[in-house]
Amino acid sequence: MIFYIARRLAWTVLVIAAVLLITYAVFFLLPQGDIATRFAGKSPSTEELNEIRQRLDLNHPWYAQFGLFVKHFFTGDEYGWPGLGKSYVNNVSVMTQISSRIARTLWLIAGAAVIWLVSGVAIGIISAVRRRSILDRVAMGFALFGISAPVFWLGLMSLWLLWFKLGIGGGTGYSPISQGLGAWAGHLILPWCVLALLYAAFYARMTRNNLLETLGEDYIRTARAKGLSERTVIFKHGLRASLTPIVTMFGLDIALLVGGAIITESVFNLQGVGWLAIQSAQNQDLPTLVGVIMLTASAVAIMNLVVDVLYAFIDPRVRYA
Amino acid sequence: MSSHLRKVVLAIVALAIAAGITVAASTAASSKKDAVKAGGTYKVGWEQSFGFTDAFDPTGEYLGNAWALYSNLLLRTLVGYNHVAGAAGNVIVPDIASSVPKPTNGGKTYTFHLKSGIKFSPPVNRAVTSKDVLYAMERLANPKDGGQYPFYYTVIKGWDAYASGKAKSISGIKTPNNSTIVFNLTQPTGDFLYRMSMPATSPIPVEVAKCFTGAKANQYGRDLISTGPYMIQGIDSVNIGSCSAIKPASGFDPLSSLTLVRNPNYSQATDSKAARESNPDEFQFTVDSNSDDIYNKVAAGQLDDEVSSPSPVVLRKYLTTPSLRSRLKQNVGDRTWYITMNLTQAPFDDIHVRKAMNYIIDKQALRKGWGGPTAGDIATHIVPNPILHNILSEYDPYRTPNDSGSEALAKKAMKGSKYDTNGDGKCDAAACKNVLMIADVRAVDKAMVPVIIADAAKIGITFKVRSINGAYPTIQTPKNNVPISERPGWGKDYADASTFFAELFSSDTIIPQGNTNYSLVGLTPAIAKKIGAKGTVTGIPSADKQINHCQTVSGPSRVSCWASVDRYLMTNVVPWVPYLSARNLNVISSNVTKWNYDQFSDQTAYAHVAVK
Repeated sequence: MIFYIARRLAWTVLVIAAVLLITYAVFFLLPQGDIATRFAGKSPSTEELNEIRQRLDLNHPWYAQFGLFVKHFFTGDEYGWPGLGKSYVNNVSVMTQISSRIARTLWLIAGAAVIWLVSGVAIGIISAVRRRSILDRVAMGFALFGISAPVFWLGLMSLWLLWFKLGIGGGTGYSPISQGLGAWAGHLILPWCVLALLYAAFYARMTRNNLLETLGEDYIRTARAKGLSERTVIFKHGLRASLTPIVTMFGLDIALLVGGAIITESVFNLQGVGWLAIQSAQNQDLPTLVGVIMLTASAVAIMNLVVDVLYAFIDPRVRYA
Repeated sequence: MSSHLRKVVLAIVALAIAAGITVAASTAASSKKDAVKAGGTYKVGWEQSFGFTDAFDPTGEYLGNAWALYSNLLLRTLVGYNHVAGAAGNVIVPDIASSVPKPTNGGKTYTFHLKSGIKFSPPVNRAVTSKDVLYAMERLANPKDGGQYPFYYTVIKGWDAYASGKAKSISGIKTPNNSTIVFNLTQPTGDFLYRMSMPATSPIPVEVAKCFTGAKANQYGRDLISTGPYMIQGIDSVNIGSCSAIKPASGFDPLSSLTLVRNPNYSQATDSKAARESNPDEFQFTVDSNSDDIYNKVAAGQLDDEVSSPSPVVLRKYLTTPSLRSRLKQNVGDRTWYITMNLTQAPFDDIHVRKAMNYIIDKQALRKGWGGPTAGDIATHIVPNPILHNILSEYDPYRTPNDSGSEALAKKAMKGSKYDTNGDGKCDAAACKNVLMIADVRAVDKAMVPVIIADAAKIGITFKVRSINGAYPTIQTPKNNVPISERPGWGKDYADASTFFAELFSSDTIIPQGNTNYSLVGLTPAIAKKIGAKGTVTGIPSADKQINHCQTVSGPSRVSCWASVDRYLMTNVVPWVPYLSARNLNVISSNVTKWNYDQFSDQTAYAHVAVK
């Protein structure tokens, strides 16, 4: 197992390096003009453009800049280790920018994940057990709504109706825990629910389908024939087997949301890591963009590894040499 | 009059008096309730991010939103403005100079005397001297310090030598004593006072800014030292004992918020109420990524103002609800939006085609894409009318019924073109087919592009449209040889038409990257070779002579001089199809008891706002 994890970690580093290399290449090779002009005034002189290029390290070919980035990453820079540099736009170090935003993103993901996992799996189980009942139809109707409704629309509607009209929740923006638990939860409750709705719908449908398929297996019939209670059959034998793909999905969803909850973060003005990614892309702020991509890529790769390791515990048939 | 009738008349009179008293009382109460008073916090929602061009360092900051903060609240320049709407807002007034100087030496020397009592905010806490203005100018001239508009000051003697490192000082700026600064220019420059009103020229204390040079230049924006009525919250706690001790002021997080509080070293006696009333005790600017949220908060009174763009839904609400209408502020933005045509690229290398384009484009339909008449007036020439003192307000060389375009007039113009080989008023040459048009991806671009395609097709021109998110870099690189683009707009830097003509049509400003003379007016084969422009590079019309002449003219005749350049360009060169003179829109909350528009920065006049 240890060798397996070490091998996977080595691959993870390679994958992240490849992602960053592609990011650099895309950033510099896309026809967007000279980035230095973005930070110059009207009609800049060649000297002014050269100064900006020098200041932003843009006076090297893109692959050399990538090399410099790798070097600074490992050796550190003026802001410490790992050296991620500073923003082209506001001079704030990338580490500071990410660390000041990561907490709000992680809280958003954690709260939403709990809601969607509990509600999604519960709805899926009920639907599977009470197949074709009114309950099943209502649950699947909810799932269809959750999958179909765009997050930006749900977000805006919930803000308008629940917060603006009914005064439920703390409205937009983020309030750190240090300013009070009530204010913190009040500002997050609507984003949690909106973000969770989409995923809960997916999880409900997936749990239902997996469980239905598992409950049709021969060993389930055997379990029932042995006289085991329905609760034991469903939860011990049925659910455990049907959880494997849920675990995969859950791990990757969480990882993707580290840099991908862009719409939710924008609509609710949470200004987390996803929002930072969009801002840096729009501002052609390569160092910040690279920092966020690195974070997201690392999260995906590491969660992938965690999921694979968890398989071994969930499914006894899986063994890693 | 019978006794009964007398009673009735008396009763009516009594009622009228009572009603009058009631109305007067309620009006008085209302005006008392909404009376302008000092104090409170003026809260502004700022969409997306601050988006500053040089991290809020005044030497390099070129964003109008930042200029509004500098000029109204934070920084004082030798001369400035009263921060009001309309033509009055474009009039130069003394700020830290005791008066607006008259040029001497044939218009080549300007001598400013500083008022006494002007001090830097904490933690500097010392009097401002002429040497602080000189230092700001040197910082602006030094290319390592990130200045974004030093080209306005190259008329100062010795500027270029200092900028290139050949001289240790700018020979054309002298500070004979702490309260006098003299500028000697290489030529008469009629708009020099306007140039000295720009924020980069405001005094900068060397003891702080010396720590922010070269690669660290724009980090000065985090510790900006004020001369105006407000300062960044927490700046007074910054230790400036050594460069390494200086940390960013706590009131400015470039990612999310900026809080300004009163500057204790500011003396109202050195300023005028006409320029700055400075009513609120505090200003809070908060980044909000959700524009709808900003407008909801303004409606709910949680924010007082916004730096955003109201959606059509928001606009409709404020335009159609009588009680809200007064809270939607519409002001002339001194900005022209236009379609640019490249004089080197077929078929726009033919003036007849360019004239035909001016006749065929349905400007009303383009404006509809921007939201209709609320978005602004139809533009019929280059410079916004207020800047030319409305001299050209009736000038419309390509007038069409209702500004909706005219196929007949366009075809008449096209008949003179070499590209209309059969004289039917439609371009039938291959050069008119699949012409590359660069567009952007904003909502307005998506609305305008179909209109332009349909209109141009009527005179035989078809387009291959390439939509780019952020189209400016593409059209600002002449070697891309972009024939036409609907993206550009241009706003003034200050209220002189030179900020349009010199930047947009002078051959001096044609550069390989960041070029804003998109049409390449005045291009010569030598310049074309230098910048990599291809196509018809000979015989390109030039406006250099006219522009250079007007630059030296001072006084009222300067405006008429620029008006003649506008007419010349619109009829003899025809580089654009101007279509919109934009208005700036602001939505304010019911808490705001006083609001004005700053014509200089084209933003809210924060110097004149007040809240309940």
